[in-house]
Amino acid sequence: MVTGRSLAKCFTRGGLNVVAYPEYPSIIRGGHNTFQIVASDKPVHSPVRHSDIVVALNQDAVFYHKDFVSKGGAIIYDSKIDAKKFKPRKDILLFSLPIADLLAKAGATAKMANTVALGAALAVAGYPFDFVRGVLHDEFIRKGEEIVRENVSAAKAGYDYAMEGFRGFRNGIKPASDKRKILVGGNEAIALGAVKGGMKFFVAYPMTPASSILHYLFEHERKLDVVVKQTEDEIAAMNYVVGANFAGVRAMTGTSGGGFSLMVEAIGMAAESETPAVVTLVSRPGPGTSMPTWTEQAELRFAVHCAQGEFLRVVLAPGDVDECFELAWRAFNFADKYQIPVIMLSDKFLGESVFSTERFDESKVRIERGKIARDLPELAQNARFRRYALSADGVSPRPLPGEPNGMHVSSSYEHDETGFSSEDFSMRKAQADKRMAKMASLIKEIPGPALYGPKSADVTLVCWGSQKLPCLDALGLLQEGGVKANVLHFSYIYPVNVKEARKALAGCRKTVLVENNSTAQLGGLLKEYADAAFDFHLLKYDGRQFFPEEIAEEVGSLAAKKYKGKREIRVVDRDYEYYNTQRYGL
Amino acid sequence: MATVEELNVKEKMQWCPGCGNFGLLTALKGAIAELGLKRHEVVIASGIGCSGKTPHYLGTYGFESLHGRPLPVASGIKLANTGLTVIAEGGDGDGYGIGAQHFVHIMRRNYDLTYIVHDNQLYGLTTGQASPTSLPGMKTKTTPWGVIETPFNPIAYAINGGATYVARGFAGDIPHLKDLIRGAIAHKGFALVDVFQPCVTFNYLNTYPWFQERVYKLEAAGHDPRDRDKAMEKALEDSRSGYKKLPIGLFYEEDRLTYEDQLPQLKDKPLVRHDISDIDISAAYEELE
Repeated sequence: MVTGRSLAKCFTRGGLNVVAYPEYPSIIRGGHNTFQIVASDKPVHSPVRHSDIVVALNQDAVFYHKDFVSKGGAIIYDSKIDAKKFKPRKDILLFSLPIADLLAKAGATAKMANTVALGAALAVAGYPFDFVRGVLHDEFIRKGEEIVRENVSAAKAGYDYAMEGFRGFRNGIKPASDKRKILVGGNEAIALGAVKGGMKFFVAYPMTPASSILHYLFEHERKLDVVVKQTEDEIAAMNYVVGANFAGVRAMTGTSGGGFSLMVEAIGMAAESETPAVVTLVSRPGPGTSMPTWTEQAELRFAVHCAQGEFLRVVLAPGDVDECFELAWRAFNFADKYQIPVIMLSDKFLGESVFSTERFDESKVRIERGKIARDLPELAQNARFRRYALSADGVSPRPLPGEPNGMHVSSSYEHDETGFSSEDFSMRKAQADKRMAKMASLIKEIPGPALYGPKSADVTLVCWGSQKLPCLDALGLLQEGGVKANVLHFSYIYPVNVKEARKALAGCRKTVLVENNSTAQLGGLLKEYADAAFDFHLLKYDGRQFFPEEIAEEVGSLAAKKYKGKREIRVVDRDYEYYNTQRYGL
Repeated sequence: MATVEELNVKEKMQWCPGCGNFGLLTALKGAIAELGLKRHEVVIASGIGCSGKTPHYLGTYGFESLHGRPLPVASGIKLANTGLTVIAEGGDGDGYGIGAQHFVHIMRRNYDLTYIVHDNQLYGLTTGQASPTSLPGMKTKTTPWGVIETPFNPIAYAINGGATYVARGFAGDIPHLKDLIRGAIAHKGFALVDVFQPCVTFNYLNTYPWFQERVYKLEAAGHDPRDRDKAMEKALEDSRSGYKKLPIGLFYEEDRLTYEDQLPQLKDKPLVRHDISDIDISAAYEELE
């Protein structure tokens, strides 16, 4: 991961557009781990199926990836691997890299094998070495100058060796500009957006693939001046969040589906007690433990419906790192202004992949705390503040503990205007109506879907959350095949802005709903609220996100058939399945 | 500063006449008043059960949370605003049953908050089922042939688990209980006050007279609460005596740094006082470039 990210940073510092994407199985050590980097001077959003250069550090890697190298591409492999064992492809280059020898020559330790390979890969790509020095310096300087020097000389050894002997690769890449960009993961972008939005407290229990939010914030808690807490479980984490928000601090938790299951009772408590709360749900395949290190978008309905009873919540699903940042700070405003729970719905693919982008746009950031009550008039003897006063917009003033004359009880029981438990039917209805009345103002702040690509197209790819990324990259491929397509993307999932959704969908000719799940959950939601129907459902739920090539192939073939055929299209990476080592006897 | 009169509220109590919770509430109000706390700077976080009603019956801030969750809610409140006096209230089922995991871990953290457990040795609000502290042989709706599980010993767990103030009171002795609660609130660190709180409606075994025959005060017996081994010995006396001798008072106290005292982020002021209007994250960008 570290080496892969360093290589990605070399391209980012060269002003290129970069996407980097890790895959790893759910075992402690070993297994087949990959890190794919896409770098281009044109916009790129998503990993792809075929690689131009594959760096294979072991035999399995050569075997698994040889069929997924583009024509004219190259495999750089460790010389200790016997590559003759595999049926050679005539249309690719094979470069044998004597990693152990180069390490010895460079005076570096075996731990730096990856760094030698990094150097070689850069050389084959025809990319200048200068960037490596700076990137490795910044990565390793906290471990001392000596470690930096060793890493740089290991990289240089690989680089020089490849420059000398690895010839014939034509699809090289050059730096594009010296514009400074950042390289950031979806989870990190949510963390930073939350911090920018005033989150002072993050509390969570580790769970893949949400843990990197916890790790990132722990590493930076003192620099960013926030408190981060690891709790005994997700039940505790969510209850801490409610407690901290009740006390007036913007607090968030982050988890995946299993942990979220444990949190739902406290999410309902936040709703009943009208306490703001923000939860990030980085989803992975389910149900149960399922495939912990893989990805899926199967928790949209879970987020929209979680917890007993009926209550308002906001569900936001960022489609890229910039949206991760923006929706994270906005999440706190929604939570505070409407005193409701807000769920940030991401997934492993977006959360753990890293992307180049510019420093986030902070110009729009506003901190809106809503009705926090201060400087209150004296309370009558033995009386309480009317925390749940019935109001036209459904939002009642909220004094924070410590505020004189604001004493009240916030409660997960139904209550009267002071917070005292009440089973009075009229009061119950009035409080339930009050909580739902917030919808009228809230919906005005919920934008409709965003359209990408040409305004008018023959076919529209409708998607939500992370699948925006492969959909965007599919547009170019479709265009090459003569299909004019665009993308309609939802990042504000719930509540549904029916008017805007209808308007956007009315402008589409043929529609293909692209979802990383098996039941077309957004499709169901839009059917329910906006009476929307889609011509085709393109679904994938094998553990991976869509690749742009897959979308282009399927939509291209629909176009070729004049959009006739089966409505449900289910795809699977059948031939790209290389994690079952036993299957191949390796 | 709050007087007991000011702490009173108009709401009608929902507890049964004679319930041990009345004595407990009186002791709690007395402790808050004697410590000179300001009402608006006290937060009572409760769980669900008869004990969960407590915040409704005194005029401080309160949060009535979920069954088993007063401790994590109270923890969140405390970390958000270390300037507040935070008191968690729960029952034996709430805290030693469904919420036991929070009890185990909060003691290791030693947040500066007080946890009062209304220990009536059964589930009252749900009309009388066995709880983790129900005594062997006790017949309830869920143990028609008597309890066959070993009772949970909260005092021994707390001494062993890292609580820095471990006390047990009796709702039938209000002045003594008030002193224990006052000591718990004044103590810097996590304080447990387990309270024998007779349920007059469903618990026919552990009645006021039953307790009066068995309890004795540790202070009178010359117990040194700084002696951990002795404290543990006293904690085990319940079962060793066949529940014939039940010590009440302060079992154990130690001075240990609180969790929040070890966070530099909280040195200058509580989190809630941090200015969030324009947070600077440029240091994070520099690292990502």
